[in-house]
Amino acid sequence: MSVEAVAPNPLAEGLHDYSVAEPALMVIFGATGDLSGRKLLPALYNLSKQRLLPAGFAVVGAAIDDLTDDAFRKRASDKISTFSRTQPIDPQVLQSFLDMLFYVKVDFGKPEDFKALSRRLDELDHSRLVGGNRVFYCATPPPTYETITEQLKASGLNAGEGYHRIVVEKPFGSDLKSARELNRIVQRVFHEDSVYRIDHYLGKETVQNIMAFRFANTIFEPVWNCHFIDSVQITAAEEIGVENRGAYYDKAGALRDIVQNHAFQLLALTAMEPPIAIEANAVRDEKVKVLRAIRPLTDDEVAKATVRGQYTSGWVLGEHVHGYREEPNVAQGSLTETFVAVRVFVDNWRWAGVPFYIRAGKRMPKRATEIRVLFKRPPHLTFGRKAAQELDPNAIILRIQPEEGISLRFGAKVPAASIRLRSVAMDFLYVSSFLVEAPEAYERLLLDCMIGDPTLFTRADEVETAWTLVDPIEAAWRDGRPPLQMYPSGTWGPQAAAKLLEVEGREWHRP
Amino acid sequence: MAQALNPPAGELDWKGEGVTIADVVDALTDFRHRFARAQSPDEDHPHPRNSVMTLVAVAATDAEEKRAESVCTQIAAHHPSLAIVVREEADVGAGRIDASIAAPQVAASGAEPPAHYELVKLHVGGAGAAHLAALVDPLLVSGVPTCIWWLGTPPFGSKELRDALQIADAMVVDSARFARPYHSFLGMAGVGAHAHRHLGLADLQWARLDPWRASIAQFFAPVARRPFLSGISEIGIDYAGVGRGNRIPSSVLIGWIAGALGWKLQRASGGGGGVVSAQFQAEGWRVVDVAFRSVEKSGLVEGEISTVRIVGSSGGRTFKLSIARAPARPRRPAPEQFQTLHPTGGEDEAGMELAQRKAAQHREMAFEMRDSLHHTATGDAPGESMPAAPTLFVRERRSSDNSMVLLTLIDIGDAGTLRHVQRIDSTDDASLLVELLAMGERDGVYTRSLAAGAELMRAL
Repeated sequence: MSVEAVAPNPLAEGLHDYSVAEPALMVIFGATGDLSGRKLLPALYNLSKQRLLPAGFAVVGAAIDDLTDDAFRKRASDKISTFSRTQPIDPQVLQSFLDMLFYVKVDFGKPEDFKALSRRLDELDHSRLVGGNRVFYCATPPPTYETITEQLKASGLNAGEGYHRIVVEKPFGSDLKSARELNRIVQRVFHEDSVYRIDHYLGKETVQNIMAFRFANTIFEPVWNCHFIDSVQITAAEEIGVENRGAYYDKAGALRDIVQNHAFQLLALTAMEPPIAIEANAVRDEKVKVLRAIRPLTDDEVAKATVRGQYTSGWVLGEHVHGYREEPNVAQGSLTETFVAVRVFVDNWRWAGVPFYIRAGKRMPKRATEIRVLFKRPPHLTFGRKAAQELDPNAIILRIQPEEGISLRFGAKVPAASIRLRSVAMDFLYVSSFLVEAPEAYERLLLDCMIGDPTLFTRADEVETAWTLVDPIEAAWRDGRPPLQMYPSGTWGPQAAAKLLEVEGREWHRP
Repeated sequence: MAQALNPPAGELDWKGEGVTIADVVDALTDFRHRFARAQSPDEDHPHPRNSVMTLVAVAATDAEEKRAESVCTQIAAHHPSLAIVVREEADVGAGRIDASIAAPQVAASGAEPPAHYELVKLHVGGAGAAHLAALVDPLLVSGVPTCIWWLGTPPFGSKELRDALQIADAMVVDSARFARPYHSFLGMAGVGAHAHRHLGLADLQWARLDPWRASIAQFFAPVARRPFLSGISEIGIDYAGVGRGNRIPSSVLIGWIAGALGWKLQRASGGGGGVVSAQFQAEGWRVVDVAFRSVEKSGLVEGEISTVRIVGSSGGRTFKLSIARAPARPRRPAPEQFQTLHPTGGEDEAGMELAQRKAAQHREMAFEMRDSLHHTATGDAPGESMPAAPTLFVRERRSSDNSMVLLTLIDIGDAGTLRHVQRIDSTDDASLLVELLAMGERDGVYTRSLAAGAELMRAL
């Protein structure tokens, strides 16, 4: 039955959309792994606590470990108790949630295991009145996606009554070629509308608010262009190192891990044209247009417009920390970048000549993600150079995390007989301005998947377009241009990052 | 971003006795100035005070005043605000105003900065207290929403209330605390007719119904079950307490369903045991039977719904949705007179059978002997507005042992029963108030449900 053919549920009016998601069976491949234990199961528990999991909803864990339902529930209980964002754990909610958990041992290479999974899903479908709805969550490394999707197809699990969606985690490939191959593999089994690529940054309330800020207000959009904006700085800084992700990170690096997805998504949301509606394809169409408009860096430009760095030992948050090469599972003498700064231009009518500076790094002084839109100075210094010497350019700062909110910086007269100007801020702080708590990103995204809203998920062409921008940089870096620079942990990256802006008469602003 | 550090609590507080509102305005201005200086003495620019709303709480008793203060402070822990607590004091001379201004320290959690919070208390004697608009308007913060929270029963229908609502963006009440619930509820249904068009009207009781509404809506969410909406034949509701005032939540819930599905009330009658029987006309002249009954359950306060059951059929399949509160609680044996009509036991005791049987007995009589039945059901003499023995409404309604679990049982066709357990969020006043205030705007669904619920109540 087509969803479009059925009138909306009149009883849902006035209720939170998520209160009326259709029941489904969520199969988590890799259910005994780290992502499932740290993020997915705690997120689902918290959804259950908020009464957002419909009657009949169930999770079927699927992994190589030989577990019973009860053993899986015990493991899930332990993980939820440790990693849930809400504490203390509510025993009634937990028990109720654990009753929704089931487990099937699945060796991804064995078709008979998928047949067994299929039988179990059919049983649950009947007993839990789910109507055939399925979400397949690949909480597994990308190399398994092909096997899993092919097995789903072979066992008929990708078709039938109800909806059938697949969720895959980043990284979506490691370059354009592998990303295309990955998309081809997944799309062979699932229609693109049913493929949900999770970039958890997009689930953050503040990221979504960029669109609200720009397109629900009339006062910002008229100045949101190259006539008024001098430059844009996007910072994604983490104070942590690679922790237990050394093996993965050493192959990926900051460019692939942060810039290709999170940073380009932030750039796209900042620079996109107004979509005709906040609807999945309308929004993603506009984001893709921006990514396509970014001028790819030539081989020569990579050396001038990018900086790559790697942290050495130093002091972060009052503690002495090791350098990157001393981290577990990192190759000795590794040349992987843990810091990247890059300048790009969006070649379209709105943004002609406006540089977008992106920097992302680990072992920075603090965790901070923000977009800083810096405006041009007034054409004439009415108050004179001296009076305005303390005055910074106007700026709008969209703080993604922490202290989520928006600041507007502008000049004001210092109360005194003489004329002296100083920058002041008007602050909007998310946490105190609304009477509701923002949901955690994974919770939001899991629910969006269940209600079938892919707006906050990345489309195949977005992924591929972003790789077309990253591949030339990676290629030049492999040739040593520019050279890798070291920076002490607890600093804002190598000196070259500061020079990248200084030569253009600008400077990084401290988040 | 700079974080303001509040000066020690109490240091800047102000108190005045026998003052005017102009004195309070001056004191508030001075208070803000001193507060800002105390916050950041070394800076040229003290941080301006932030405020996301002004909450005006109207209290008539000491208990209400304390509750208002406590709830306002809980909300302020996360949301910078100005709270004005207005306390009527009948025993104080007419026109006398005693006022105080404070910035109590609120316990912000985690990494949140301390929130700016101002608490203004006005003790107003005599008739002056009735003129809320004149008292409060000069104190309001420009540009932020103003919400009036009436902790007791607002003077529905009065000019003073209409004036007060002119300065408000929203009014919140708790119909569970109305002193004369039946008449006050009907009065509240009439507020919209005289208020400005942007006024939001909210009831904490409506917020308490949210889990029930979500569970019912959820049942019909799957596309395949959508046709069930036009196959509903019966709805049964069990509620706690007797007396017509206790039927407000049940009536509003039925009003919500009827309003959303376009049902028209055909007739309604009340019988013994708090039984209510009503018939609605759904699409295509289809009749939907609705029955309430009063069932005593420990832990529930009067008026609270304990069970809702919806029965029907569509496309050759029958369906039954039962949602029960506190199912895990040790059951008490049913009163003897119920045992003769309806076997007790089992989780799915929704009261439908009993209600229907009793309703069938009373149905014909209901329309012939309306006044007599009214007396039987409510204890009131016909036409009397106040229950003879108001069992409940003026006392504290939330008991600490309320079970916070909803059990949903779903039966469709010949499939086995599907159980679903959900925890209900805290229903303390602060949580409910925040939930309602977060809506921000006028809640059209509530307005519609209130009107339909009032129509049902009037018909009884």
